[in-house]
Amino acid sequence: MEDSRREIVLGCATLAIAAGYYLMAVRIPHSDIADVIGAQGLPKTYAALLAILSIVLIGRAALARRKAAVPDAPAMSMAPPVSVAPPVSEGPPVPKHVGWRTFGMLLNGALYVALVTRLGYILSIAGLIASTIAFQGGELNRRSIAVAMGGALLLWLLFVRLLHIPHPPGIWPSVF
Amino acid sequence: MAVGLLTVIPAAFGGVAWGILGGALPGISPSITMALLLPFTYSMAPTTAVVMLACTYIGAEYGGSIPAILIRTPGTNAAAATVVDGYMMKMQGKAGEALGISLYSGFVGGLFGMLVLVGLTERLSTVALAFTPPAYFALGVLGLSVIATLAGDSLVTGLIAGVLGLMISTVGTDPVAGLNRFTFDSPELLSGIPPLLVMVGLYAVGDLFVKTGEPDWAKATREDTRIKFPSPAVWKRIARPQAIGSLLGAFEGMMPGGGGAVSSFLAYNEARRWSRHKEEFGHGSPEGIAAPEAANNTVACTALVPMLSLGIPSSNSSAVLLGGFLMHGLIPGPLLFVSHADVVHGLYLGMFAGNVAMLIIGYLIMSPCMWLVNRPKPYLMAFIYALVVSGVYAIQNSIFHVGLTLGFGVLGSAMKYFRLPVLPMVLGVVLGFVVESNYRRALVISSGDYRTFIQDPIAAGLLAVAFLFVTGALVRRLREARSARRAAAAPV
Repeated sequence: MEDSRREIVLGCATLAIAAGYYLMAVRIPHSDIADVIGAQGLPKTYAALLAILSIVLIGRAALARRKAAVPDAPAMSMAPPVSVAPPVSEGPPVPKHVGWRTFGMLLNGALYVALVTRLGYILSIAGLIASTIAFQGGELNRRSIAVAMGGALLLWLLFVRLLHIPHPPGIWPSVF
Repeated sequence: MAVGLLTVIPAAFGGVAWGILGGALPGISPSITMALLLPFTYSMAPTTAVVMLACTYIGAEYGGSIPAILIRTPGTNAAAATVVDGYMMKMQGKAGEALGISLYSGFVGGLFGMLVLVGLTERLSTVALAFTPPAYFALGVLGLSVIATLAGDSLVTGLIAGVLGLMISTVGTDPVAGLNRFTFDSPELLSGIPPLLVMVGLYAVGDLFVKTGEPDWAKATREDTRIKFPSPAVWKRIARPQAIGSLLGAFEGMMPGGGGAVSSFLAYNEARRWSRHKEEFGHGSPEGIAAPEAANNTVACTALVPMLSLGIPSSNSSAVLLGGFLMHGLIPGPLLFVSHADVVHGLYLGMFAGNVAMLIIGYLIMSPCMWLVNRPKPYLMAFIYALVVSGVYAIQNSIFHVGLTLGFGVLGSAMKYFRLPVLPMVLGVVLGFVVESNYRRALVISSGDYRTFIQDPIAAGLLAVAFLFVTGALVRRLREARSARRAAAAPV
């Protein structure tokens, strides 16, 4: 049941992607030097293909849900109510709090992208390391902050000094 | 040549060392280890870069066996078969011997894999000059047809992932008319989304996000870290399972979706079937380590046969290596052997050196490996994240690329949640441009005549093989579904 619900959600999401992609594909301008297929040709085909596959996925999942529900109906009406164990999903177990932790990790990355040009590479990467340690279940204490600063310095030496990658220096050159 | 050796051999040693360290970390697969290295190879010479990546693959396959033996946690999927007897040997106080058997068997498997790689890719490439746009299009279709085999539990979800990959490949300037598509007026998207960013995002960042919810792994003790090479009696005993593992690894490596994990378990089973000491399997048999380890290191070489000769990656790791080739403007496939023969020969040399390096570095690196495995997981994950964002920026000094990679990381973790396979999407991204540009060029040349795809003998042959791949996979799935229905309907 859990699997089929997941497939229905996935099918709806990919159907929406197919529709959005198709609408953008038809807006691609025509060119006088275009070939018989044109710039729109394959994108429109891909959108149609994705829509068909999404509908197949939704249909299959809905059918599986109905099949799973049918044998339960008469049993429920004939037998007295009993406590039922929660449904066990098939496949490998999904880690706990993935959504929340993924969001935290993504937020760390997004903050890094937003701040690196202002704060500079060393401070931003130190912040990223420290906040990731916290999101991964580590404690934020003097040791972890020292590790983050030391790690940032090490990465700066590797990328900026050794590999000559011009990571953003931030506001510091104008301050000093 | 001397200059080439000076860069190729250090690259081989460096790649193997990185691969062993990455492979030894539980949950960090060879493809993720390679994806983490990918941005760093951008500024290297093409041969050095591809050698380093290929040798990372070799090192990671061995590295995976270290935690499998010492802490009963396989570092890679391919090392899962090694856990059974490896950990039992460790419990009997023979951890050093188990590690020695793993290292030596990996070396034997790797050398055999190299022979197969060199022997087959050169032969397959002889048809290079006969390839026309219809043939290239058919080659792309053949590559995409592999999705039918790689789709995992559900063909539909595999195809959805493949089509999504094809859609990503259409972002940027249209290959024939030069029009901008799906660029949202962003100059950064004009040249398309580099497959490298997709791979680093889906494999490395996506996995990092998912792993946040997983518990820490067990720790190893310091006394475990001394490798002992097998005695002559053990050498003799493990020769047969090594041969079995090497043969199965050679075959499975070239098959789409075969990979190290499948070949390791097959090799383990076959080694037990042909063993004179069947009863020892599962209780610390040296043969139970030799067969899977020889198999997965053979795969690390033979997985490159379809990738180099046809441009079709058969596994996640070969897809990342393909990304390394594309990053340097090298297009694996028939013409690679004509236009960049020096790179291919440098790769052969580097991989051979990599196998020798594995034997040396594998012996020396045990202490740093154990130090790394014993670090707290939050610290390791934080440094991997920092390495990814710094490395991706280094490719084109672009913050936009870092953001894009994070976006693909979110997509990768969502795909894991929805059980969408990643490799079909990567295939779509990598082959999308080849398919579209050659399809349209072929039709321009033939003035819109679609018969060009069946009149060209190579194109027709490749399309027929693609058709067989898809129908074969469909028939197999239908049979499996039918037998599952019968089993469910049978009276208990």
